[in-house]
Amino acid sequence: MNAVLKINGTEKTFDDGLPPTLSALLSKLQIDAATVVAEIDGEIIERKNFAQTELKDQMGIELIRFVGGG
Amino acid sequence: MKSLIIAGREFSSRLFVGTGKFASSALMTQAIDASGTQMVTVALRRVDMDDANDTMLEAIDRTKYQLLPNTSGARDAAEAVRLSRLARAASGIEWVKLEVTPDPYYLLPDGEETLKAAKELVQDGFVVLPYINADPILAKKLQDVGCATVMPLASPIGSNQGMKTKASIEIIIEQATVPVVVDAGLGAPSHAAEAMEMGADAVLVNTAIAAANDPVQMARAFKMATEAGRTAYETGLAPKSAAANASSPLTGFLREI
Repeated sequence: MNAVLKINGTEKTFDDGLPPTLSALLSKLQIDAATVVAEIDGEIIERKNFAQTELKDQMGIELIRFVGGG
Repeated sequence: MKSLIIAGREFSSRLFVGTGKFASSALMTQAIDASGTQMVTVALRRVDMDDANDTMLEAIDRTKYQLLPNTSGARDAAEAVRLSRLARAASGIEWVKLEVTPDPYYLLPDGEETLKAAKELVQDGFVVLPYINADPILAKKLQDVGCATVMPLASPIGSNQGMKTKASIEIIIEQATVPVVVDAGLGAPSHAAEAMEMGADAVLVNTAIAAANDPVQMARAFKMATEAGRTAYETGLAPKSAAANASSPLTGFLREI
């Protein structure tokens, strides 16, 4: 079943089903969870809850991190 | 040099350094080390999916430098509040350099939206350091709603033009009961020294260091200038006068009396 997530403004299709949780998504994208903060449909997800946060088709996910800035 | 206290935290360095625009993370860490700073600003951005593990900031030793997340990119109060909360969730840090800059050309701050966001963030437990135009009335309003400092701009961000707003910053310094941090536009160590001699409590510098030919040496130069300006302010400058005041004795000249 095809499922879609909107990640950082871009739609991403998962042909073999959605990763079940936010942690699983980050592993699939090869992103170190310790360096990011996430927002799903406008709600901030605390890092300690990444493993319990279930993903559903059509969710809007923002993955954000610190960068150099003034 | 007296130490600076912001929201109960003591800083022996009065130079804050931004971490943007450095050519590499190695250069950034060497420059912040050379600057002697104890607080560095950082920004929040979307993870770049094509370079997902570009974690430049892991290079910063958080036991030596306090991170001050900024809300750069926010165009109104709501966006600034959202970024502040994301920064807190990412880092556990409740300090925020509040900036609301709707105009991308001059990046001048929107005072009305900044005040609105500041009220909300202070209520939510943040230590708020707002970036503002050099407006003494706005500075007072921000102080009254509980901001920990005010950060008036010297000139537009990254412009290196120096103390264009000097007269207004002097009024802010005269009236403020919170520390005044001159931010943005300081392009040369002499600009930082000028701000500090006037009685600014600290300065924040990014572009002038990061874009210098040698950022490490320039960081060192800003460190010395900040300390020189502050020491001169604490000492009190000797008085000015319109006429000359001879430095050498006015007696014993080798001429006919």
